[in-house]
Amino acid sequence: MQLNSQTYRLSDTGKVGTMALAVGVIGIVGCAAGFYVDRTHFFHAYLVAFVFWVTLGLGGLFFTMLHHLVGADWSVVVRRISECLMITLPLMAILFIPIALGMHELYHWSHAGVADHDVLLKAKAPWLNTGWFFIRAGIYFSIWSVLAWMLYNASIKQDLSYDESRAQTMQRISAPGMLVFALSITFASYDWLMSLDPHWYSTIFGVYVFAGSFLAVLSFLAVIALSLRTQGVLADTIRLGHYADLGKLIFGFTVFWAYIAFSQYFLIWYGNIPEETIWYQHRWDGSWKYVSLFLAAGHFLVPFVVLITREAKRNLFVLRAAAIWVLFMHWIDLYWLVLPNMPHAEGAAGVHFSWIDAAAMLAVGGVFFWFFWQRFTANAIVPVSDPRLEVSIRYTNA
Amino acid sequence: MKTSATPGGTAATLADKNGNARTWHEPEIITGNQTFASITEKIASINEGKTPTGWYIAFGVAAFFAVALFAQIGWLFWKGIGIWGLNQTIFWAWDITNFVFWVGIGHAGTLISAVLFLFRQKWRTSINRFAEAMTIFAVICALLFPTIHVGRIWVIYWILPFPNSMEMWPNFRSPLLWDVFAVTTYFTVSLMFWFVGLVPDLATLRDRAVPGSLRQKVLALFSLGWRGGNKQWKHYEKAYLLLAGISTPLVLSVHTIVSMDFATSIIPGWHTTIFPPYFVAGAIFSGFAMVMTLGLVARKVYGLENFLTMNHLENMNKIILVTGTMVGYAYGCEFFIAWYSGNEYERFAFINRAFGPYWWAYWSMISCNVISPQLFWSKRIRTSIPAMFVISIFVNIGMWFERFVITVTSLSRDYLPSAWKYFSPSIFDIGMFIGSFGLFFTLFLLFIRHLPMIAISEVKGVLPQADPHWYHQDDHGANGHSVNGGNGHGTHKNGNGQKEEELAVKNGNGNGH
Repeated sequence: MQLNSQTYRLSDTGKVGTMALAVGVIGIVGCAAGFYVDRTHFFHAYLVAFVFWVTLGLGGLFFTMLHHLVGADWSVVVRRISECLMITLPLMAILFIPIALGMHELYHWSHAGVADHDVLLKAKAPWLNTGWFFIRAGIYFSIWSVLAWMLYNASIKQDLSYDESRAQTMQRISAPGMLVFALSITFASYDWLMSLDPHWYSTIFGVYVFAGSFLAVLSFLAVIALSLRTQGVLADTIRLGHYADLGKLIFGFTVFWAYIAFSQYFLIWYGNIPEETIWYQHRWDGSWKYVSLFLAAGHFLVPFVVLITREAKRNLFVLRAAAIWVLFMHWIDLYWLVLPNMPHAEGAAGVHFSWIDAAAMLAVGGVFFWFFWQRFTANAIVPVSDPRLEVSIRYTNA
Repeated sequence: MKTSATPGGTAATLADKNGNARTWHEPEIITGNQTFASITEKIASINEGKTPTGWYIAFGVAAFFAVALFAQIGWLFWKGIGIWGLNQTIFWAWDITNFVFWVGIGHAGTLISAVLFLFRQKWRTSINRFAEAMTIFAVICALLFPTIHVGRIWVIYWILPFPNSMEMWPNFRSPLLWDVFAVTTYFTVSLMFWFVGLVPDLATLRDRAVPGSLRQKVLALFSLGWRGGNKQWKHYEKAYLLLAGISTPLVLSVHTIVSMDFATSIIPGWHTTIFPPYFVAGAIFSGFAMVMTLGLVARKVYGLENFLTMNHLENMNKIILVTGTMVGYAYGCEFFIAWYSGNEYERFAFINRAFGPYWWAYWSMISCNVISPQLFWSKRIRTSIPAMFVISIFVNIGMWFERFVITVTSLSRDYLPSAWKYFSPSIFDIGMFIGSFGLFFTLFLLFIRHLPMIAISEVKGVLPQADPHWYHQDDHGANGHSVNGGNGHGTHKNGNGQKEEELAVKNGNGNGH
């Protein structure tokens, strides 16, 4: 892998893109097989994989907008990575199609006539109906695509010439962008995840999904940057200080995620109202109990203990391992949100991991990464004309 | 590559592809070409000069209401809490509202002193001292209300868990007990943080005081033998960082526990999972509004325009806008989910809030908390002092109403319509609320008079002169070192200068397209 010191573009990247696409194709073949073997499981596995990658795109969008809004110096050097993550969002709109096709398998409320026998579903019918569900998904993807596209374009244009006003332009987009982002990620999480159990509701649910998504993108940024570093790319641009800051943010948002997750669990447990506790009961049935315990330990305790010291955040090996672990736990988290709602035979409650889960992750992930890599190698891999770039490179974080 | 030699501010210069210089400027944090000496002189002289007449007048008014508060508390102990407007349905009203209101006010201080410190927001140095003081005084006012609410004040010590001959323990499952721990911890840590930050400044005042005077002796006692030595600063900065780390979870935990006073119950309108982060956002929102109100007055009266610049005010207004929008998001989420739940009690609770007998309180809350901060989208309003003063007061009014709306609307109409009641405050509800402001301002005025209201040593740390390389600018212009300050304490290690130059050269060449 070569970095052109004139244009700051990657060349000679070997077959990273091709390999990603190959993985995607293998995944798609696996998904096709899964579809015939166990249709219900396939759609649930696909939903997990879809949400996993879409939350990385959304996390990238949030990271970029936050960077512009607070006028951060240090994060200029990793900004292009997060921008290339967010520009996958229009692609994710296409990858939403299988979910639309699997509506019937995934969402009990979409069955015709189901509201006639269910007083709650009847009350919710103005919101939970297939047509309006699709329109909403269209609105979310339009918002995300427009925001991502505007910010990405402005950033690429910024590379061409030094112009301070471009930084302001991106800041101007980000302020209202943040507002519609917050609303759209909230309602998307209600629609795609919370309505899997259409009777259940929790006001914090949107914040929960957001917390997981931001934590995941911070980890993804660290993993990508560290992987480039092993190839000698940007090794003296993204420096120890930047990694230490990413480590601090991963640590901080691990705690934030745990805080939100605990708030939701604790208030429902304490209130002890059956219509609310049933959701956690589903996640305690059979072997799900162990997944729940593993989630609490793995998504909170492990990264908390590992990353608490200053030395750990500055040890790139530890940081990389922790970041990969957090990404894995993000997948477990989403799996834990989705799969317990999958209809199952009487007495067969419990977690049943399947090769279909892996196939779905590879399918969406391969296509996602291929597209990400394609965007990443198409331009300079740092915003070369950003007015704060030099400050960012110098950043030592002593 | 050259460093522009601007006095103050940070600047980095790069050459573009045509070799023209390009400069990125960060605005100066402290304006007016201050020196270390001029800062000490300005801040310390506020405490050393003659007490202004205006101060006596303000103190007299505040102290009057504070004394009136204690007189009313005496009457409350004598008669019982029936002197408030409470009734069988609404057993909690202004007392808990005032408690949550004052605890919330305190949160900005902790956010500014701890969270903004960890995020290296150097502008915080101008506001952290008086915001922390505000935190401590607000928590004192807050603690007062649940204490006097207990009724049998003579057994107040029963809230503390200690082995006793009655073998009686408080109810550990009650969020009200968690409040005792959360708020006292908060108070202790805030006080410690505030005091540690004060030590170097107290030593400055000590050294300036008349030798042998009582004032000097008192200051000497509290400055703990501070000499400003290298070792002392090293320990000080470590302690400061650790305290910031300890305080940061407290920003979240205190109001989380307070929200659980409501949310652990199963009363519609109280039992909702978003309460913890929503209360925290609301607390920071109201706290910043109070910092703004107090800051604007202090800025005007003591001429602190160079320390509390328009930039500071604008930053605070942005935080008010963000947190106000978060609060609006939570209101929206609650309302939407109440409808989405399909649960008729949930739905009723929210319809009743907006259109029931307390509609006026609900819409006051919405207009003050959600609508008024949205005006800060406009830069003109964000930088207009009269506008921000008015909005900050609106926010405080709105946040008081928020707690009132949550507490009273849900209680006043419960599951049994025959028990529905309307709450009317008695003269003592109103008198004690005003009295708590009297107490707060009494303490705050004493603070302003006797302690440096701006952290002298920290403000010096964010001056460009505090950068170890600032004096060398003329010697080796090739390194624009002033771009990277420390954490506001002026300690800053630079990386390998050689390597930086290489990087910069690479970067300078890397712009051709």
